[in-house]
Amino acid sequence: MSELKPTNKKAELLLKSAAEGQVDEVVAMDSVAGCATTFDPGWEVDAFGGVASLCQPMEADLYGCSDPCWWPAQVPDTLNTYPNWTDGKPSAQNDWRELDAVFPKK
Amino acid sequence: MSIGLPRMFSLHASLLGLFLFGAPAAGATDAPSGPTLVRTYCSGCHLEHGGSFERISSIRKSPEGWVMTLFRMHQVHGLALPEDAHDGIVRYLADTQGLAPSESAAGRFALERRPNARDLDLGPDLAAMCGRCHSLARVALQRRDADDWLKHMHFHVGQFPSLEYQASARDRPWWTIATTELPAKLGSLFPLNSAAWTAWSQGAHRELMGSWVVVGHEPGGRDLYGTAEINTDGHGGYTARYRLSDTRGGTVGGESHAIVYTGYEWRGRGELGGRASREVFAVSEDGSRISGRWFDPDHEERGGDWTAVRADAAPQVLAVLPRSMKAGSSGPITIVATGLPAGPELSLGAGTTVRITSVEAASVHAAVEVATDAAAGARAVTIGRASAAGQFAIYQHIDKVDVTPGFAIARVGGGKTAAVTAQFEATASTHDAAGKLVELGPFTADWSTKPFDAEAARTHDETFGGAIEPGGRYMPAGAGLNPVRDYSGNNTANLKVLARVHDGDVAVEGDSHLIVTVQRWVTTPIY
Repeated sequence: MSELKPTNKKAELLLKSAAEGQVDEVVAMDSVAGCATTFDPGWEVDAFGGVASLCQPMEADLYGCSDPCWWPAQVPDTLNTYPNWTDGKPSAQNDWRELDAVFPKK
Repeated sequence: MSIGLPRMFSLHASLLGLFLFGAPAAGATDAPSGPTLVRTYCSGCHLEHGGSFERISSIRKSPEGWVMTLFRMHQVHGLALPEDAHDGIVRYLADTQGLAPSESAAGRFALERRPNARDLDLGPDLAAMCGRCHSLARVALQRRDADDWLKHMHFHVGQFPSLEYQASARDRPWWTIATTELPAKLGSLFPLNSAAWTAWSQGAHRELMGSWVVVGHEPGGRDLYGTAEINTDGHGGYTARYRLSDTRGGTVGGESHAIVYTGYEWRGRGELGGRASREVFAVSEDGSRISGRWFDPDHEERGGDWTAVRADAAPQVLAVLPRSMKAGSSGPITIVATGLPAGPELSLGAGTTVRITSVEAASVHAAVEVATDAAAGARAVTIGRASAAGQFAIYQHIDKVDVTPGFAIARVGGGKTAAVTAQFEATASTHDAAGKLVELGPFTADWSTKPFDAEAARTHDETFGGAIEPGGRYMPAGAGLNPVRDYSGNNTANLKVLARVHDGDVAVEGDSHLIVTVQRWVTTPIY
């Protein structure tokens, strides 16, 4: 890692976290049942155990998650399982209120 | 992709979830048998060989697991089922290919939809392969042999092709691991055949009709106690009628209709205190106790713990409310118990003076005075022939406050996804004479939040994330872009939650960690 220099804020945070030994905290949060925290970043929690490095605003990249099947336990994948999830809602930024939960409730 | 199964009937997806929670059964005597239903609706793809169906007969699951399977068959493969056929298939498969009580015990928190539960620890390999997307409880609530676990891996990579990125494929030979080591490990951990299932599936199980004594606790809120009358519904299910008291005052009525799957998996739907409720309970193996969690169907994170014991059970103390009293104080106390004699005698141990004020069928109310010099520590409670240790304590002062859960997730809500709140509860403890920490039960507290770290302070998370209510429930803010935040970010937040419990002139503080995060749209019964 000494050969590499961070070029953005997130990378600086990563180096700082590694230096401060925060890895154990992240592992602890990884064990909250039903939450994906270990991707880069997680859906609920970022790699540092907080929210500062989540994709923000989430809507800016939401369809970039559903199209290639990222976080398939949180975001309906339109690749195979829910191909029509975003039909008629071309802009996540404008149309997020119309997006349905995919599993019938009750 | 459709696999060409004939659409014999139509069923809107919104109905698919009704069956698990005790929808009234239709004409049970005329209903086709389970094997007939599977043969009719499933064998077009899952070929039958001598009474076994490919794949289906190689798996055991919870009722929720079978509901999820049928939903996937509907969503991905175009299977259309009429309501009663769906119900019948879930019931038949859960009954004949379910889990023994001991097999579902570890993952019950997931069936009960407990929020902020700590997931199972199945080792780093399964955490990396399975737990990066969904709970490991979902894995532990299934039974297959190694060859079917291998097929399960192939299914995953076919259904979710980008899986390899999420399975740390850059760092390890993930597909080799997924197709060699892990099927063998899963087949060993969670095999299709087990002595527990053989014994349970061949055993007889007690009917549940009769009178039951109930205690319930809603974290951060109320304690309930009273009675339940359980009867058959005439169609293989049960009805329950509740008459409960709230320790904060007043009565709570309710009723539910339930199906008991696999001989012990109680799934009820009804209402409690005028609010819709769902019940995920388990009947104990000897049929003497029903326990689990009830919750609001629209806010599954809101609910409480539930225990019911047969009213004619051997004398036992189910609850002492409140669970502690301070030395030098006086006040009312309620003991919930079975086997109460006429004119019971009540003892709360050394340093207490007790005067019984009223006796009901399963509860005793008393006025209690605690001596100023009463020693701090746990007390045995004796009522009639029932006694209990560890359910009541005396304290001179509160030494420690814990906030549960120690780590919580709340989600912003809006549009078609409701906000997910986070309920906190403050539990106090004191040291006894031997220096041992003794739990005193839940206490009311003054609740507040503050930024968890410097970054949360810089981004004003406390302002944007939401607010905590006087009862310890955190209400997250609205979903969507917030133009006044950096990059128009969402109202996410990283907060410390503080509880101040007042003990006379002293306040004792405890804290927890709260993440307010974004909504999710996949809301499966097993997270």
